[in-house]
Amino acid sequence: MTALLETRGVWQRFGGLVANSDVSISVGRGEIVGLIGPNGAGKSTLFNLIAGVLPPTQGSIWFDGEDVTALPAAERCQRGVGRTFQVVKSFETMTVIDNVIVGALMRNTVMREARRKAHEVLEFTGLAARADVLASDLVPAEKRRLEVARALATEPKLLLLDEVLTGLTPTEAQTGVALVRKVRDAGITVLMVEHVMEIVMPLVDRAIVLDLGKVLVEGKPTDVVRDPKVIKAYLGDRHAVSA
Amino acid sequence: MDKHFAARRRRDLVIAAVLAALAALAPLFIKDVYVQNILILTLMYAALSQSWNILSGYCGQISLGHALYFGIGAYTTELLFTKFGVLPWFGMLAGGVIAAVIAMGLGYPFFRLRGHYFVIATIVIAEIGLLLFQNWEWAGAAMGITIPVRGDSWLKFQFMRSKLPYFYFALVLCSVAWFVTWWLEDSKWGFWWRAVKDNPEAAESLGVVVFNSKMGAAAVSAFLVAIGGAFYAQFLAYIDPESVMGFQFSLLMALPAVLGGIGTLWGPVLGAAILIPMTELTRSYIGGSGRGVDLIVYGALIVAISLALPRGLVSLFSRSKAKGATR
Repeated sequence: MTALLETRGVWQRFGGLVANSDVSISVGRGEIVGLIGPNGAGKSTLFNLIAGVLPPTQGSIWFDGEDVTALPAAERCQRGVGRTFQVVKSFETMTVIDNVIVGALMRNTVMREARRKAHEVLEFTGLAARADVLASDLVPAEKRRLEVARALATEPKLLLLDEVLTGLTPTEAQTGVALVRKVRDAGITVLMVEHVMEIVMPLVDRAIVLDLGKVLVEGKPTDVVRDPKVIKAYLGDRHAVSA
Repeated sequence: MDKHFAARRRRDLVIAAVLAALAALAPLFIKDVYVQNILILTLMYAALSQSWNILSGYCGQISLGHALYFGIGAYTTELLFTKFGVLPWFGMLAGGVIAAVIAMGLGYPFFRLRGHYFVIATIVIAEIGLLLFQNWEWAGAAMGITIPVRGDSWLKFQFMRSKLPYFYFALVLCSVAWFVTWWLEDSKWGFWWRAVKDNPEAAESLGVVVFNSKMGAAAVSAFLVAIGGAFYAQFLAYIDPESVMGFQFSLLMALPAVLGGIGTLWGPVLGAAILIPMTELTRSYIGGSGRGVDLIVYGALIVAISLALPRGLVSLFSRSKAKGATR
């Protein structure tokens, strides 16, 4: 079976800075894959390349058996790529339900259908009680959930989650983890960038570690956390030796 | 779950129908030509502001150059009428279409600009349009065009004896602009526009083609404003560049919406209902001294309302109903 998402030899340079160098990763259908790495490893850049915010300097991106390298974000959404933003980007002057309707209109052109779909997604994500509240009045954890809800309303095949669990209280994070599992159980593949290792590691099927713009290690989360290269990248040489 | 929403939509429609019916009856009681004149202008600016609100309020692309489309509507109608004998009704539609096409042509480069840069571009373009018409000999240049009097007729949309036909046309135009907004508000376009206004990047990630939605908003907005321009030209029976394309029109389209509530369904109507009579009354009662006292009072009132109600006059109504309503 072909992978749902594949990056083939992707490079991204910003002037003299190489954010991604020769990154080739793949995400299979139904997986939850974690993209981790220290600050400045190039995670967010790779994420934006996959979502279509900017085209890679070199290399290609394949989604669902199709080369999508040249497609802008809106068309990738149409192909089935949904995303959230690290810094939440809610439609602040709109209500929660209206925020989600924008996403639902991607596949439902009739307003009534889109509205019904949006309510369904709010139920799914546990935001139903907040439907008529302005997005600007939500607490941070709810805003994160709204990001997920909006993306889910576009009925994606692949959901890109950009640090949705970061900065939450342990209880909120656990609710978030449960939601990600529920999303996968609904048949949606998940690729998530995350910092909080102890939360993300039990959740993902596979972890990809980026460091200095390159893929450092890739594998089962339990193996990855013990890998000397990963420990070195995160904590420095001394700790790697003692491990 | 959607009962509130559907009920609110229906309530808006009923209120609008009642208001329109009451307005239609107004001339039965108001015989004073001066007051009728104010009513006509109020309705016209309500319609214009409602149209401006589509691009600038809902879609968030603040234009201070809509005088251009107003002027294009006026000039297209009168040039076609005086040079080719085309009836104003067709001229009006032609003006609307031309304005929409020009709006999209201008949008192509300028919708890449954001925020203040976009606003500045709209002002500059409208000024260029004004200068072009001031120097265009065939279109009467700075002298303008006098519309030949052919007697009162609906066919030629010309009335000298009574202002009432203009009043009813303005009422219809205002109702149409309101209804179009009402209809668009709960459509894919309406949602796309509000998303684009709030956060274009997030909108793009949800499949919204940001550029196209701006183009759509610009076309609808310019079309309706041009119809207003055509009406105004017929109403004045004389046009010159400054009197249909001057910067003040751009402002007078923006102000009612801003004052009433930008990006809201009722904002423009409410704003125009207060602002336009206020403009006329301050001018006639305390103007004329040559010292500009009317403008000081007028300006002070605008500042006072903006300070007291930064989200516009509509917030007076929505605040009490915020609970239970969709918005």
